[in-house]
Amino acid sequence: MTLRGTLAVLASVIAVVAGPQPSSAAAEPPRVRVELVSDVGAIAPGQRFWVALHQRIERGWHTYWVNPGDSGEPPRIEWKLPAEFTVGEITWPFPERIRVGPAMTYGYSNEVVLPIPITAPPGLKPGTRIALRGQASWLVCEKICIPEEAPIALTLPVTATAPPVEPRGASMIAAARQRVPTPSPWPARFAATADDVTFTVNASGLTAERIAEIWFFPSRWGAIDLAASQRARVDTDAIRLDVARGPLREAVNAPIDGVLVVSERLEGAIAHHAFTVTAQPSSTGGSSATSPLLRAIALALAGGLVLNLMPCVLPVLSVKTLGLVQHSGQRRSVLRAHGLAYAAGVLVSFAIVAGALIALRAGGEQLGWGFQLQSPAFVILLAWLFFAVALGFSGAIVVSGRFAGAGHALAARSGYVGSFAAGALATVAATPCTAPFMGAAVGFAVTQPWPTALVVFEALGLGLAVPYLLLSFVPAWSRFLPKPGPWMERLKQFLAFPLYASSAWLVWVVSQQAGPHGVGAALAGLVLIAFAAWLHQALGGVRAIWRRSATWAVAALLPLLIVGLVALGPLGAPASAPEAAGGGAVGWEPFSPERLEALRASGKPVFVNFTAAWCVTCLVNERVALRSPAVAEALARKGVVALKADWTNRDAAIGRVLGSLGRSGVPLYVLYPPGSGAGAPPTLLPQILTEGAVIDALDKI
Amino acid sequence: MSTKPLSRRTFVTGTTIAGLAAVAGRGVLASPAWAAGVAKVGETAPAFTAPATSGQNMGLADQRGKLVVLEWTNHECPYVRKHYESGNMQALQKEITAQGVVWLTLISSSPGTQGYVTAKQADELTLSRKASPTAVLLDPSGAVGKAYGATNTPHMYIIDKAGLLLYAGAIDDRPTTRRADVQGAHNYVRAAFEDIAAGRAVQTPVTRAYGCTVKYA
Repeated sequence: MTLRGTLAVLASVIAVVAGPQPSSAAAEPPRVRVELVSDVGAIAPGQRFWVALHQRIERGWHTYWVNPGDSGEPPRIEWKLPAEFTVGEITWPFPERIRVGPAMTYGYSNEVVLPIPITAPPGLKPGTRIALRGQASWLVCEKICIPEEAPIALTLPVTATAPPVEPRGASMIAAARQRVPTPSPWPARFAATADDVTFTVNASGLTAERIAEIWFFPSRWGAIDLAASQRARVDTDAIRLDVARGPLREAVNAPIDGVLVVSERLEGAIAHHAFTVTAQPSSTGGSSATSPLLRAIALALAGGLVLNLMPCVLPVLSVKTLGLVQHSGQRRSVLRAHGLAYAAGVLVSFAIVAGALIALRAGGEQLGWGFQLQSPAFVILLAWLFFAVALGFSGAIVVSGRFAGAGHALAARSGYVGSFAAGALATVAATPCTAPFMGAAVGFAVTQPWPTALVVFEALGLGLAVPYLLLSFVPAWSRFLPKPGPWMERLKQFLAFPLYASSAWLVWVVSQQAGPHGVGAALAGLVLIAFAAWLHQALGGVRAIWRRSATWAVAALLPLLIVGLVALGPLGAPASAPEAAGGGAVGWEPFSPERLEALRASGKPVFVNFTAAWCVTCLVNERVALRSPAVAEALARKGVVALKADWTNRDAAIGRVLGSLGRSGVPLYVLYPPGSGAGAPPTLLPQILTEGAVIDALDKI
Repeated sequence: MSTKPLSRRTFVTGTTIAGLAAVAGRGVLASPAWAAGVAKVGETAPAFTAPATSGQNMGLADQRGKLVVLEWTNHECPYVRKHYESGNMQALQKEITAQGVVWLTLISSSPGTQGYVTAKQADELTLSRKASPTAVLLDPSGAVGKAYGATNTPHMYIIDKAGLLLYAGAIDDRPTTRRADVQGAHNYVRAAFEDIAAGRAVQTPVTRAYGCTVKYA
């Protein structure tokens, strides 16, 4: 090659690398301008960091998503990275729908940032500079389509220390990753007919009125008609999405992957939540549809068994078992009949509770196990019941003979009605308790048709009834029960204490739900019950009719307390279940501006979870991030006080705090570092949380 | 940054795609009327007649007893250019029509849009590109294209001797504009004709067409 030839080749190489060639200056400028950005200002050996292809797209034009739809082509990058660097796939923010005539395409307009993870090799020498190069190519379309390409490059120094954040790139990448779909917390399936595909996403707790739109973007072409409308229905238990089938008929024989975007109205703005979804075909789901039921039944049985050991049930069951000890001299058939009556009491009560739950859910209420506890009035009644039964155990109420007490009278009454009533009492006592395994079983049951739900609930009841049933049926086992004696009275008195404790706990629940007025009513009721018990004893000498009337007159004051409170208001407001939106392993304290101020003044780090029971994102965040043991551990390790600001009912104080943080709605997650005053500005976490994001933020304080 | 300007056209209208998307997003266009009669593989292909560049009307009914290929095209589309400038499309046309198959090239670009041509311009293109379709049909109203659900250029269809649609989709499995990708690509149309010749059902009867959108009015 001549010198001239060599120079010409060199010149053209330089021109390609340097950008627009002089010869093409007369041609049209590119529709898309690209650059490579990174979230770090330097590379640390062995570390993973993010780069991103930033496309600025001419107005009216668009580039494409990973599945471009009926037409188009996604951007591609051919990397030329230094040795041993590894680069991941492009992570795709969810796209816009771009209709072109009869076709539907998925893409981006104006601007898009496509993040890509890169891992540096461990052997890099600090102080050197690394050039990350590649060739990006993409299709850009308006009415017409133009393939464009450009070299991209970024040079970063290698650092031995923690790499500095590159503020512009980091914020661009963080914003883009907010729009990258996260794995769906809900299982999904689909059923196909000749013309339609119906997707069912088991998302419970969505509020239909807040959902502006739901759209499914399939990852591959063919299964659904992309240009057809998608008809979404949001029910209490699931999202159902009907869409016309696509041209690739066999596509419905395999799972359908895609991105589900739920657009939610939040305080005048629309928040988009994108989830990656793998919908399983229902046709092959036949066998897997029965196995979750069997699993749920097994879990329910186990849960019911464990319920026997819970502090609210154990005393009731124990006293019933004492009865068995007493009756041990009787004929086996009588013992068995008692066992059956008890089991019937449990099962019938469970059927009633489950029936009410199913009926209310069918009526559109958002309820789960223990739904009655969302009513402060019910919680107060339960607290009183436990207290009364406990008084009976303590010997403060002696109605007839050796065993006494309001509920206890039921539990201890001889005869089969008594055994049946004991079963009912055990069920009522069990309602505030949840045992391990129960959550999964009940969670499954409430999303199922009513016969399935009923079967699961009855399995739970059977689990609760089984220990007593077995004892009454297998006399060999009753032999292991100790002989009757004075110890029974002592044990009964002792067993009053778990019941007192349950009662105290329920009053605490009331304090969450209905505030000081509710607590006042609950405690006043306890005093009245104690007074009624005393009165009953004190009038021991007078005629039974007077004695009974006086006791009932005092007891009649109890409902008045509740009625009065409902009339006054505090119980009338639908208080949210305290654990509905927080829960988990972290001990969330209720938020108040004063509490926050006090904690800040003492220099403690504080994490505030602004949430609401009606906010989908909040619930998802709690499910995927805040409830995780790792987050709980990180909070504890850093000594962070976790506050939960529940905005379920509009609260002016919370509203003001949100406003002062520049927000008008939830979710909002704020981390105040240790120290006080202006020297310790709070960190706002992303609206869509991951476990890692929370732990990272905690680790930085 | 260097680009490969493949089109002389710039902004055609002020209407932005984003605007279209916004309208679509509200569901106004959600279920277009044309969708009702779109061709389905395995069913009878929609009947049509359209003027050929000779001025004569040609229809599907005239071709009973013959295998028919429909090729939607737009000579300015970079994806179409990939297959014509590499000689790939012409080679396929020669090979298929030599077997007695009718090859109809359709142009559904509406007047004023990319790829719209008069009969004379269409004939000039056939000549200059050394193409050998049986005929080029002009469908500026888009009626034929919409009846077949043609979304892309190129978009390929094969109709059997009884008028059943056997294949709909892409020409091959490389959805790019790079001429070099023609080499080594799996050509779905050729494969379908191999299946037909062997008396088999078409193994891959439906694929995602790739290319430029058809420039309907």
